[in-house]
Amino acid sequence: MVWLPVLVAALPLVGSAFAALSGRTGWAAVATVAGSAASLLLAVVVATLTITGAPLASAGAFVYVDGLGGFFLVTVAAVVLLASLGSASYLAVEERSGHLSVRRVRVYFGAFGLFAAAMLAAVETANLGLLFILVEAATLASVVLVPIEGRTEGLEAGWRYVIISSLGITVALVGALFLFYSASALPGSAEAHLAWPFLLAHAHQLAPTALRLGFLLGVVGYGTKVGLAPMHTWLPDAHAEAPAPASAMLSGALLNVGMYAIIRLLAIANRGLGSQYGGRTMLIFGFLSVLVGVVFMIRRRDFKRLFAYSSVEHMGIIAVGLGFGGVLGIYGALLHSLNHSLGKTILFLSGGSVALAYGTRRIDRLGGVVGAMPWTGALLLGAALAILGAPPFGLFISEFTIVRAGLAGDQPWLVALLLALLAVAFLAFIKTVGGMLLGAPRGVHREPYRGSREHLLAVAPSVVGLLALLGLGLWIPSWLNSLLAHSVALVR
Amino acid sequence: MQELTLAPPGGAVLSLDAVLILLSALACLGSKLFDRYLSYYALQSVLLAVAAATAAYLEGDPALWVLAGLTLVLKGWAIPTAARHWLVQRLDLKRDSGITTGLSLTLVLGTALCAFAYLAVSPERLAHGLLAASVVPISTAVVLLGALAMVVRRHMVAQLIGWLIMENGVFLGAITLTASFPLIVEVGIFFDLLAGFLIMLAMTTGLAERISPLSIGRSGRDS
Repeated sequence: MVWLPVLVAALPLVGSAFAALSGRTGWAAVATVAGSAASLLLAVVVATLTITGAPLASAGAFVYVDGLGGFFLVTVAAVVLLASLGSASYLAVEERSGHLSVRRVRVYFGAFGLFAAAMLAAVETANLGLLFILVEAATLASVVLVPIEGRTEGLEAGWRYVIISSLGITVALVGALFLFYSASALPGSAEAHLAWPFLLAHAHQLAPTALRLGFLLGVVGYGTKVGLAPMHTWLPDAHAEAPAPASAMLSGALLNVGMYAIIRLLAIANRGLGSQYGGRTMLIFGFLSVLVGVVFMIRRRDFKRLFAYSSVEHMGIIAVGLGFGGVLGIYGALLHSLNHSLGKTILFLSGGSVALAYGTRRIDRLGGVVGAMPWTGALLLGAALAILGAPPFGLFISEFTIVRAGLAGDQPWLVALLLALLAVAFLAFIKTVGGMLLGAPRGVHREPYRGSREHLLAVAPSVVGLLALLGLGLWIPSWLNSLLAHSVALVR
Repeated sequence: MQELTLAPPGGAVLSLDAVLILLSALACLGSKLFDRYLSYYALQSVLLAVAAATAAYLEGDPALWVLAGLTLVLKGWAIPTAARHWLVQRLDLKRDSGITTGLSLTLVLGTALCAFAYLAVSPERLAHGLLAASVVPISTAVVLLGALAMVVRRHMVAQLIGWLIMENGVFLGAITLTASFPLIVEVGIFFDLLAGFLIMLAMTTGLAERISPLSIGRSGRDS
């Protein structure tokens, strides 16, 4: 059954192929959406298989999907589908208005498919070498998307992104080398020594010095991708300058892929070094990220940068959950990564519509968006409340679970600190977004979407995402619950 | 203290080669001319190919021979030639004026990083049947020196070369630490490096037409 995960990762390439071969950009968009939809469908099948049976694995764990991989696979595939729908409407507007040439739209869809495929493949491997290759490939494909609108700022942001990410990811590769080395005294082939299942099973026998080094370098390296402070400096620029659906992919999917890599390493460290070591490391990076994210969210003037700093904050919250550890902490962290992905995707997609309609991302030039664009404005408001952890949305449940994990772990002061930071984030975010959505109308609004079909296409992914978030806030389906339980058992 | 090298003749060649690789990284760090950066990088890559060939000979591993050949052709020749043609000549780059710290301070920092690498990854703590344990801290030092070049230099081309040096350091570590790294992984890393180089090349030329490549390193506009 190994071909099934391979197919999941290969399906988004259909869009790339159409973009490369055909000059009709409409076809590329349709193919991208169709490929992404089929990919999500199969991803659900793969995840279901991992609950009921053994991991889908090839030799050397080059392909390896267990519960954890299945969970992230579904998350990434869901974001890819929503973002592909968003791309179809966003790029149609950009092409019609003359902002993007046909060639650039084709480059966009070509890179989009490669980006999606690399991310999906990355969460389907447990070979640490291949993981590095795929995460770097995803980075390189996404770098093409950032400056596609042709602004100088976009090119600069892209450059900073590629340089800092490549530097970080190289550090992660050094980490993988040390992990590989820590296992070199054990029997087994070279491929096994790079394979996560082998390393996890023999975690106690790994050379502790090399393991510690490998873990730390891996967290710093992949943490650069995740946007953990202080390695987050590239993130706000890249996420703000990319076209909105690409920002959704970066924030909603790529950050999770980095987190997936860290969780794999954390599992080995937890077992080989005791959960104290890994947990403390995650808490330090987590709190630093929440702090940096929250501080920079105050008085932001560009709403996409605001969303980007909110991503830094949320990645910090996930790291804190992993740091608190235990069943509750890891469960909460994983659930939070799914919730955040959906919420951030809606924020960026709806925010993209606003940017198209007003031609600006400056909050001080925007006002009364809800009045001018009722659907988009309402969705943006809903997504903002969801991302801030207001009930009854999913993020409330996952943040609550993480807080409970902290209390169960007897760390009330850290919990108090986390809650205080979240309160500041709430005020900063809602003040800024509220002023832009409500209040007196400001700015010149031009309806970007032509006809009801295009408008529906632009709004539909956000509606679906918001409903899913609402659903996750009210109850966790038993399917998802067992997937999460599987993953938690692997990481503890 | 444990003997640092395992197989005296082969291990010694490898160790000596690694020292030369470290020196070429330091030389690059101490230079101010773009043309020199590339020369030192090319030299370092050729030395890296020698290291891979030595390891291949010692281990009798055909995969490592492939790697040595790839390193020689791509890193020793293709990448420096392309960079010289497309970047240094076309953008008419001569002297790098975008170094934030003075050369002597840079070298002091670099030396400190080398010392740090030795403290962090001291060979006697690692070695168990390693090809040449002394190479491990050296490769760590090369990685750190590459990272230092990326941090203290603001010019895009200099940052790109810093990354390439870092990558060389990783490769040196991969050869010695893990002589039997799976080939598919090594080739994949090579492919990533090549794709990354091409993308960075395109971005550098794209940006250089619009703004001074120097202004890139300034911290982001936080509005």
